[in-house]
Amino acid sequence: MKYMILTYGTQLDYDEMGGAETGRPAWTPEEAAAMGEFMAAFTAKLAESGELVETRALAAPVLTRRVAPDLRSGLPVVTDGPYAETQEVLAGYWIVDVDGIDRATEIAAMLNDTPAPAHVRAGAYADVRPLMDERAELLES
Amino acid sequence: MIAPLGDLLRELAPQVLGAVVRRYGHFDTAEDAVQEALLTAARTWPVRGLPDNPRAWLITVAARRLTDLLRADEARRRREWTFVALRDEPAPRDVDDSLVLLFLCCHPALSVPAQLSLTLKAVGGLSTAEVARALLVPEPAIARRITRAKAAIRDSGAPFRPPSRAEWDDRLAVVLRVLYLIFNEGYASTAGPSLQRAELAAEAIRLARLAHRLLPTDAEVTGLLALMLLTHARRAARTAADGALIPMDAQDRTLWNAGEIAEGIALITAALPSGPVGPYQLQAAIAAVHDEAPDAAATDWPQIEALYGLLLRIDASPVVRLNHAVAVAMARGPAAGLALLDDVPAASHRWYAARAHLLERAGDPAGAREAYLAAAARTASLPERRYLRERAGRLTGE
Repeated sequence: MKYMILTYGTQLDYDEMGGAETGRPAWTPEEAAAMGEFMAAFTAKLAESGELVETRALAAPVLTRRVAPDLRSGLPVVTDGPYAETQEVLAGYWIVDVDGIDRATEIAAMLNDTPAPAHVRAGAYADVRPLMDERAELLES
Repeated sequence: MIAPLGDLLRELAPQVLGAVVRRYGHFDTAEDAVQEALLTAARTWPVRGLPDNPRAWLITVAARRLTDLLRADEARRRREWTFVALRDEPAPRDVDDSLVLLFLCCHPALSVPAQLSLTLKAVGGLSTAEVARALLVPEPAIARRITRAKAAIRDSGAPFRPPSRAEWDDRLAVVLRVLYLIFNEGYASTAGPSLQRAELAAEAIRLARLAHRLLPTDAEVTGLLALMLLTHARRAARTAADGALIPMDAQDRTLWNAGEIAEGIALITAALPSGPVGPYQLQAAIAAVHDEAPDAAATDWPQIEALYGLLLRIDASPVVRLNHAVAVAMARGPAAGLALLDDVPAASHRWYAARAHLLERAGDPAGAREAYLAAAARTASLPERRYLRERAGRLTGE
């Protein structure tokens, strides 16, 4: 069965990872490289075990466009980069096809070892969410 | 509830619970959610008809109910999950969820009473009230026992998956013991006015059939199912109309269930040559020798003695030593049996009862009478006590 493992970040996190000055310690190039290597190895391991369905990293929150209906005009309203600097948004995900939620949780727990500056690691977490089956779970009760 | 629907729901219950727990975790709450889904099905299916896929329907309804229950539980503490390091060697993936559920309910972290209650409820699909009635324990006590067991499983962080190869044998042994104890509880109830609680024994057989279907090549699982069938087959002959116990040598063997005997013999015959011989196979083989004899006098006691000799090598517990001594007495005369019996610790009423029988056969009525009364004073079963007193009474010479 399929699960999505989600990780989160703020615009601030994205900026820091890019080496920008934010008032908090920025990532050194070595730290950024170590994280990249860890993620590549993590994903490669999942791919090799046959458990990985798909994975993506999402671009910075500032690049987001939000689309909402305008009820009066009936036209879509499009907003750029609607997030506050410190609001956590989806940063990346892995979809895994595994034996059950315990295995998915185990995989997500491996992300605990992601190398990163201490203040980033202190607030880091991942969510594990079951994906809906297309039909079985939409049955009429 | 109409009977076939009840049977269908009980068969689906462990599969549905297994699927929901595997998918979403939360064993404790999932169990409640599945119960509610089963109740909904029992109410609506007779009116609206069976859904196309009853199992998927139940999983869907139970999963929805689970989310409701979890949301209602806002105040619950953040759950702390423990992770077990990756196992040496993962067990096969294509294991039926009912089997994983059975392993979970028989988790070594639980006490034996908790294992029995939880297995009957979660795998057997019995209601809390039914489990309470089956185990002769008040319903609130069973409810607490089940709640505690579920909490213990949650706190242990036991992952929902079959045991690894390294721990497989130990874990399976616990599962088999739990099923065996459920059967025993039904067959030779340790308390109360009725000697047999045939429903509980039948439930144990149903669970053993499930285990056998899931692990068809495991010879001990097969042996356990055979043992249950070969023993259960004698139930109609085991008690008189007034509830009194009838010993095997005095039973009306035409009352034995020929179908169950044939099935049990076929199972044990297939299992014995297939792998390492374990205690359940040996006990089943012994029961088969009894069941094959057309009357008590025709019993092949030398073969039974030999089988107990093999069993002693695996399990030299007082119960096995006692049975071995009785078999020796039957094969070679009471004196040889009594000599062996003297070395077995006299812990239970069965030791005194066996000694009484052998003394009676050896021509020592006074000693036999004393032993019968000693046994009667030590048994918790009322029919057994009546039987033992009656045997003692016969020896007073009245």
